[in-house]
Amino acid sequence: MTSYRLESGGLIDRQSRLSFTFDGKRMLGFAGDSLASALLANGCQLVGRSFKYHRPRGILTAGAAEPNALMTIGQGGRTEPNTRATMQELYQGLEAASQNRWPSLDFDIGSFNSLLSPFLGAGFYYKTFMWPAAFWEKVYEPFIRKAAGLGKASYEKDPDTYEKAWAHCDLLLIGAGPTGLAAALTAGRSGARVILVDEQSMIGGSLLSDTARIGEASATDFVLTAKAELESLSNVTILTRTTAFGWYDGNVFGAVERVQKHVAIPNAKAPVERLWRIVAKQALLATGAEERPLVFGGNDIPGVMMATAMRSYLNRYGVAPGRQVAIFTTNDSGYALALDLEARGIVPVAIVDSRAGGNPAYTGKARIVKGAVVSDAKGGKALSSIVILKDGRTENLKVDALAMSGGFSPVIHLACHRGGKPVWSDAEAAFLAPQQLNGLQIAGAALSTGNGIAACLSEGAAKAAVLVSEMGFACTAASFGAVEGDMSARPEKPLWSVPGVKGKAFVDYQNDVTRKDLGLAVREGYGHVELAKRYTTSGMATDQGKLSNINAIGLLAEARGISPGDVGTTTFRPFYTPVSFGALAGAYHGTHFQPVRKSPLHEWAKKTGAVFVETGLWYRSSWFPRDGESTWRESVDREVLNIRKNAGLCDVSMLGKIEICGKDSAEFLNRVYSNAFLKLPVGKARYGLMLREDGMIYDDGTTSRLSDEHFFMTTTTAYAAGVMNHLEFCAQALWPDLDVRLASSTDQWAQMAIAGPKARTTLEKIVEEDISNAAFPFLAAKEVSLCGGQLHGRLFRISFSGELAFELAVPAGFGESIADALMEAGREHGIQPYGVEALGVLRIEKGHVTHNEINGTVVPGDLGFGKMVSQAKPDFIGKAMVGREGLVSADRPQLVGVLPLDPKTSFRSGSHILAKGAAATLENDQGYITSSAYSPHVGSTIGLALVKSGSTRHGEEVLVWNGLREEFTPARLCNPVFVDQANEKLHV
Amino acid sequence: MSEFRITLRPALGSVTSIVSENIALTPLPEGHVVHVLGKPGDEALAKRLGSLSDGSAHAVRAAGPGQWFIVGNAAKSHADMTALFEALKPDAYGVDQSQGRVRMLASGPMVERMLAKGTAVDLSLTQFPLGHSTTSVIGHIAAHLTRVADDAFEIMVLRGFAESLWDDLAHMSAEFA
Repeated sequence: MTSYRLESGGLIDRQSRLSFTFDGKRMLGFAGDSLASALLANGCQLVGRSFKYHRPRGILTAGAAEPNALMTIGQGGRTEPNTRATMQELYQGLEAASQNRWPSLDFDIGSFNSLLSPFLGAGFYYKTFMWPAAFWEKVYEPFIRKAAGLGKASYEKDPDTYEKAWAHCDLLLIGAGPTGLAAALTAGRSGARVILVDEQSMIGGSLLSDTARIGEASATDFVLTAKAELESLSNVTILTRTTAFGWYDGNVFGAVERVQKHVAIPNAKAPVERLWRIVAKQALLATGAEERPLVFGGNDIPGVMMATAMRSYLNRYGVAPGRQVAIFTTNDSGYALALDLEARGIVPVAIVDSRAGGNPAYTGKARIVKGAVVSDAKGGKALSSIVILKDGRTENLKVDALAMSGGFSPVIHLACHRGGKPVWSDAEAAFLAPQQLNGLQIAGAALSTGNGIAACLSEGAAKAAVLVSEMGFACTAASFGAVEGDMSARPEKPLWSVPGVKGKAFVDYQNDVTRKDLGLAVREGYGHVELAKRYTTSGMATDQGKLSNINAIGLLAEARGISPGDVGTTTFRPFYTPVSFGALAGAYHGTHFQPVRKSPLHEWAKKTGAVFVETGLWYRSSWFPRDGESTWRESVDREVLNIRKNAGLCDVSMLGKIEICGKDSAEFLNRVYSNAFLKLPVGKARYGLMLREDGMIYDDGTTSRLSDEHFFMTTTTAYAAGVMNHLEFCAQALWPDLDVRLASSTDQWAQMAIAGPKARTTLEKIVEEDISNAAFPFLAAKEVSLCGGQLHGRLFRISFSGELAFELAVPAGFGESIADALMEAGREHGIQPYGVEALGVLRIEKGHVTHNEINGTVVPGDLGFGKMVSQAKPDFIGKAMVGREGLVSADRPQLVGVLPLDPKTSFRSGSHILAKGAAATLENDQGYITSSAYSPHVGSTIGLALVKSGSTRHGEEVLVWNGLREEFTPARLCNPVFVDQANEKLHV
Repeated sequence: MSEFRITLRPALGSVTSIVSENIALTPLPEGHVVHVLGKPGDEALAKRLGSLSDGSAHAVRAAGPGQWFIVGNAAKSHADMTALFEALKPDAYGVDQSQGRVRMLASGPMVERMLAKGTAVDLSLTQFPLGHSTTSVIGHIAAHLTRVADDAFEIMVLRGFAESLWDDLAHMSAEFA
């Protein structure tokens, strides 16, 4: 309880007090605080428990890499677990709760695990839970899952909205520290379109925590001046609270903007998070460098903190880490902190420098212990002392805060997202980004950890100038004057293994992986970096090893006696930091999950009482219940019988419709279909079969010739888009020499099937032309005038039901009016609307196939369409393959009808056919029921089936077997046409 | 004379326009949309199409290689449409899409930001100047976009998706409205 708020300083608004709670305890902070800084200001250093050992943990960093201070924020549907307190801005009323502890953070029974730590080392699970095997799923895994885990997600609906958006720019700058700011000013002044993203709430990056002076202005004033200029430039977009999380093909960067994660009650009209896809001509990675922890005993005790983080809390937030502060460093970073502490009246009790030489430029008051290490930190829930080891002698020093700096690693994750591997540099003592990335350059500390502010400013400006100049913008690099108080942490020899360690020395804080675990992994043969990661879990979890990976690699290298470069890194993949599912889903959930596609007759069907069913994106009328009907079957049976007796009207607007124009349209269709189309007369429709190259049927439908050079094709609803693509491919790629033009007109037409004996008399009331059987016979097609010439439509004499039937297409916006007119015209003839269920029954009764039968494995002969495979045409798609031996063999599955022997019994689609008396085994499978329905016309269930040699087995008794429900139905194979086998009705 | 009066039901007849300082969204009249099927690279045809339009600004929009839309707010009679098809020959064929495509106008200072929530197309004025057209997707729905003013875009969509796209656009506009 020793961290505290300083009397002055920081970029916080001390006039704006904010009240918040942590584990129910009320605390106060200021506007501009992060949750972490506010907790520290309230003396709260114990903020969480570790994953495995439940060790007390404090705040380690001040940024995105934080492994310890993970909290659950919010209530109800807004509950968000694993929020990094270092990244969460404080707001009035914020409710934070610690995780992974019970019954309380202060007294956590789970910490008992720590006592078992000798048994819980690397590979513990693999070695322990091997037997009995049956225990794994029932005992071990449930127990481990219960014991493990970080925060818990809410089951309540998230009340907030999320969205996705695209952005485009000439130059994307990732990181708004000194490098990014200098680049933004340079490129912005040239007129180039610039997007500057930064994960913090303010631009400035490390400058917000620095005490250097740039061109005689303080670092923060420099930031404010730069911000004002950038905001005045209309070609510059600044995205704060935005984390660039991935680099993708096409130089597209993914970024997530936390639009309203810093407010108590979000504006409902705006998203809380926005997922950006930023398309950049060029990008500059100015992400800086991450400070490395040092792996000494007790390096996880609350009070131990990264040195730059301590600077940040001190300078940006006005929070002192403690009163007796020590610094353990391998480089000059620790000395900059020492000077800042001294400026705040806190003279460090010691600077423990692993280098023998130390920093000769340091002029502060702190005691410097050169050539020494902190081998152990002591304390429970708060740091109480450290052990300094120098020349074999130890010294105990009472401290309440310890800063550590093991050097810096460039933040190069994004540069490696497209396959590039980090490259080890002995000179930099760090992994660097791969060279010559297409569309992405690196600058500042992300390129070289030795770059101080001055170097970052000049390099950011210079690289931006080159990049935008190459795009054609007149540009010179911005200059910023001298930098005073610059801290250049030049690379030093890394200190992977701290000598003399007694306590647990953590490499990976999130997964409780210690130095010993890595040593064990190497000894047990898991020294490869990818194996070590999985064996020890180092580098897993929400931080993905941002702090730990480099130390793990260094320790593996030492253990194996090779260079870190030879150990290599694990693969860097998006996301850089966790991205919520909400942001990934964007607006596309609930009613916006997928588009709704409505027929032009949707409102007509709705007012007529339709029950709708989703078919793909379409909403189709299933049936039209009437008063007194209690089941869907009653409605469907009525609709079917009425069509066979009177007339019915069905919305078939969803059928795909394609206009085919051009001098070679007929030849084109002749090649697309397996049957002949070259000589189809104008005014006639023809049923066509379209094959795939392998000879299987692709789709079917009717195509009508409206003029010499104009055909109108209908496709099945499901394959409308696919057939259009197929035709375009044929026209553009296969036969570009043919003059064919294609246009989808599916949405132009409201199309109605009018079927039944009274169909003609009904239509005659609105169609001006003679549509008698003589003038307009079966398969006639032509444009007609409607309702006294008020409208023109297309009329087709085609039938899916087997009845006298027409399909009338009218311009979509008039569909409802025409449907109303037809219902009125047919009222005296008993016309009724019918839906897709009745449509299905009617077509099964007639033995017409759909994609239930055209299942991708059938050739025309299988469905009785053998004669539709032209022998005369020189070529058509599928011709070369449809004659293969296997596709013409007599024992292929062939279409048959199926009737139950007892009409009171039934069977279901998907059931299999067994020969009479055969055992119910897959070996005896003879085929399956492709479609089935109750036929009110036949008076029983009827089915269509694909059965081995089916066309020669009519009359044979079989057994229909539903293996899922263990249903057996004796049945008979028969002609697949149950209604009007002579097709007389079609021609009346 | 027929006993039946035929009336039009506009696809977006039931929606309420969005009118605000920053963003506006309104359905356009279901006038005429003619899909012209020419040949890729037929520059002469492209130049000729303007004379076949109603003369309003940006009435002819590119719709892919060798394809254009001719649009206008006034509906064409059957005779006028037939005459237009004849006038296109022999270079091109016309397909009436007046009822198959629904147009709406999105405008206002935030219109690019709003549309960027749905389309990957760079709609900045320099990259997508006045009169420029493209087919893209807005969210999950294909649409044809035309810049008709510095801060206004006409969006043309398949009729069946019109209501769904409207809902999406209204949702996308909410923070600016």
